[in-house]
Amino acid sequence: MAAHTLHTLPSTNPSFSFPQHAPSGAPTQHSFYPYTDNGGSTLGISGASFTVIAGDTRLTSGYNILTRYAPKLFKIGGSGPDHKGAKIVLSVVGFAADGRALQERLDTLVKLYRYQHGKDITVHACAQRLSHILYNKRFFPYYVQAILGGVDEVDGSGALYSYDPVGSYEREYCRAAGAAASLIMPFLDNQVNLKNQYEPGSVQGLEKKQLEAKPLDRETVEGLVRDAFTSAVERHIEVGDGLQMMVITNEGIEEVVLPLKRD
Amino acid sequence: MFIARSEYDRGINTFSPEGRLFQVEYSLEAIKLGSTAIGITTSSGTILGVEKRITSTLLETSSVEKVVEIDRHIGCAMSGLQADARSMVEHARVTSQSHAFNYAEPIKVESCTQAICDLALRFGESASGEEEESIMSRPFGVALLIAGWDEEGPSLYHAEPSGTFYRYDAKAIGSGSEGAQAELQASYHKSLTLPEAEELVLKTLKQVMEEKLDANNVQLAAVTKDKGFRVYGEEEMKGCVGRIENE
Amino acid sequence: MDTLVARYSRPSHQDPAYTSDDQQQALADVAPPLSLNFALPPVASSASWLRAMTDDASNPNCPIKIAHGTTTLAFRFKGGIIVATDSRATAGNWIASQTVKKVIEINSCLLGTMAGGAADCQYWLAYLGMQCRLHELRHKRRISVAAASKILANLVYSYKGMGLSMGTMCAGVTKEEGPALYYIDSDGTRLAGNLFCVGSGQTFAYGVLDAEYSYEMDDDTALELGRRSILAATHRDAYSGGFINLYHVKEEGWVKHGFNDTNPIFWNTKLTKGEFSNVTSELA
Repeated sequence: MAAHTLHTLPSTNPSFSFPQHAPSGAPTQHSFYPYTDNGGSTLGISGASFTVIAGDTRLTSGYNILTRYAPKLFKIGGSGPDHKGAKIVLSVVGFAADGRALQERLDTLVKLYRYQHGKDITVHACAQRLSHILYNKRFFPYYVQAILGGVDEVDGSGALYSYDPVGSYEREYCRAAGAAASLIMPFLDNQVNLKNQYEPGSVQGLEKKQLEAKPLDRETVEGLVRDAFTSAVERHIEVGDGLQMMVITNEGIEEVVLPLKRD
Repeated sequence: MFIARSEYDRGINTFSPEGRLFQVEYSLEAIKLGSTAIGITTSSGTILGVEKRITSTLLETSSVEKVVEIDRHIGCAMSGLQADARSMVEHARVTSQSHAFNYAEPIKVESCTQAICDLALRFGESASGEEEESIMSRPFGVALLIAGWDEEGPSLYHAEPSGTFYRYDAKAIGSGSEGAQAELQASYHKSLTLPEAEELVLKTLKQVMEEKLDANNVQLAAVTKDKGFRVYGEEEMKGCVGRIENE
Repeated sequence: MDTLVARYSRPSHQDPAYTSDDQQQALADVAPPLSLNFALPPVASSASWLRAMTDDASNPNCPIKIAHGTTTLAFRFKGGIIVATDSRATAGNWIASQTVKKVIEINSCLLGTMAGGAADCQYWLAYLGMQCRLHELRHKRRISVAAASKILANLVYSYKGMGLSMGTMCAGVTKEEGPALYYIDSDGTRLAGNLFCVGSGQTFAYGVLDAEYSYEMDDDTALELGRRSILAATHRDAYSGGFINLYHVKEEGWVKHGFNDTNPIFWNTKLTKGEFSNVTSELA
């Protein structure tokens, strides 16, 4: 990544929206900029006994599409090249190199956990560990937004955790991250959490009843994921090419890759 | 065994030609001087019991602490050099807490025992600044009985200064361990209840102790699923001791 | 000794085998040691670099947006301590979450609140929870709120200037101290007090709280005051909103009093109590 020119800070002088050439002879200041935004979007929804995590497969840098197939979803803690037996999925969006570094680190630690404690890690424990991995780079952050999905070992429900770049996390029912998060998240609020929807025909005013969100079935969730991405592709230049989707159930992980528009 | 002693027990990490590490073997002897400690597992929990050895009538008996808490679900009883146990217990506590911090779950009893045993081997002559720096100039002179409850149910481990550990249904350590272990061997069965285990611990201690057993010179503790690790209070001790005396 | 000096005197990016030693060691320790090693960028001033990358207030185009924004409050009264917060997390203008748990349960008797960097608060209050538990094991009694808050204050002070961002309150009731409340921030400030509001909506919350506060309140009045103060802040501060998270701390431990949507609470306050009469729109 080339060093970026550091623009002067806003002052009382009139400013320009385009970069100004430094007066000849004045030194140009360069700064350390180790990140690239590789675009793309990810999405996770949890159900009563499963979690779906999805991401598009386009990888961009600025206006260039570098590849049409770069996965953002990774199986964690499985053995061998096929990740056999994995029951946790990590999705990362942001800077792809940081994403891969994070995935490798988590995968290694989850495997070591199995060797040291003689049991598979729970999603709950893995979620806390991931938070600490991110926080350990608090002063040199991973440029990623991570979503972790699995199945809760205690009650068998779908478990979904979302993270900010330095590791603050929360268990949620649905979360969109990345370039098209602002396009997808409002759609999920409406369709999954049923925000601002009230029982039709119920009393108006103070007594009116908010519709209660219930866990969705798998078919509905997969439909929502497809709709969310086909819609995002229509309105965001950094999203497209392919839709990688993983469904985590107690039996394991099923993966599908569907085509998206390639323009 | 003691013939080659002058040559091979100076360097504490030096094997003798017969393949012995004398200092480690001696440390096992140190435990045989310690007070007796007993642990028994039942399906509903694990009981630990120790002899307190009240050496003076002026001694404040509550200050003799030989059963301690490691975490809510793990506790341990010790025999041998008390002071050495302090650093092992501290290490176990920090390990358990940092596991909880990193994984938001209680540590497994076996993992905690393993952590203690890892510490047991960090003696010797390595220079400061090396990775895995030695922290002790000699092996620990204490053995632990580690009782706990985790997702696999109740368990009892015996950790030695040599760094080895084994899981037991019932185990005795310390000066009376030979007699006590024989008694446990004869009386232990899988269907013991928690009160029966309390009684077996006390009866066995009574047999091997030099002093007459009473509610002040022994201490019981239990690890159960609901209450976690718990040291018995004065009243409870009197009750338990009363039960075996009435028989 | 020389190898030791060499290892730490050279910036890690100049190390030919970049991080191989350290990183392998870190990987080998599945449970990392308690010495807190954080990765640092290979630049002279990591603090200003971090600010350029993550501080959206001074640089709206910063690449890494860390979740921010808040109203939190806590106050002492005769029945214990009330702790109340909103639940909104913002990254720039984007509402990153409406369901953040800004009251952190350090243990069954101690609560911490979250304002500033969400990760900083979550991580260090969890760390504080661990230290409190160790204190309990070592000393066989619960830690005082004064000591707990001091652990946190000393900790963040040791990272001063590195870019941590947190404004937190520690609330607990102990036999020795009674209800005790401390404010700690990432500058290293540690203050004991009766009443604190922290975050972008603090002024709005103070407005209500200062007007109505009395130490002699009963429990229900105190809970209502906590709720009403947060409501005022969510109404006037764009960075606050979502749900009202309410706790009551007593000597036996804390009690949770709900995580409730602000919207119905707002309309209820307006229509049944006649407050917010400046809002002229109808409830749809």
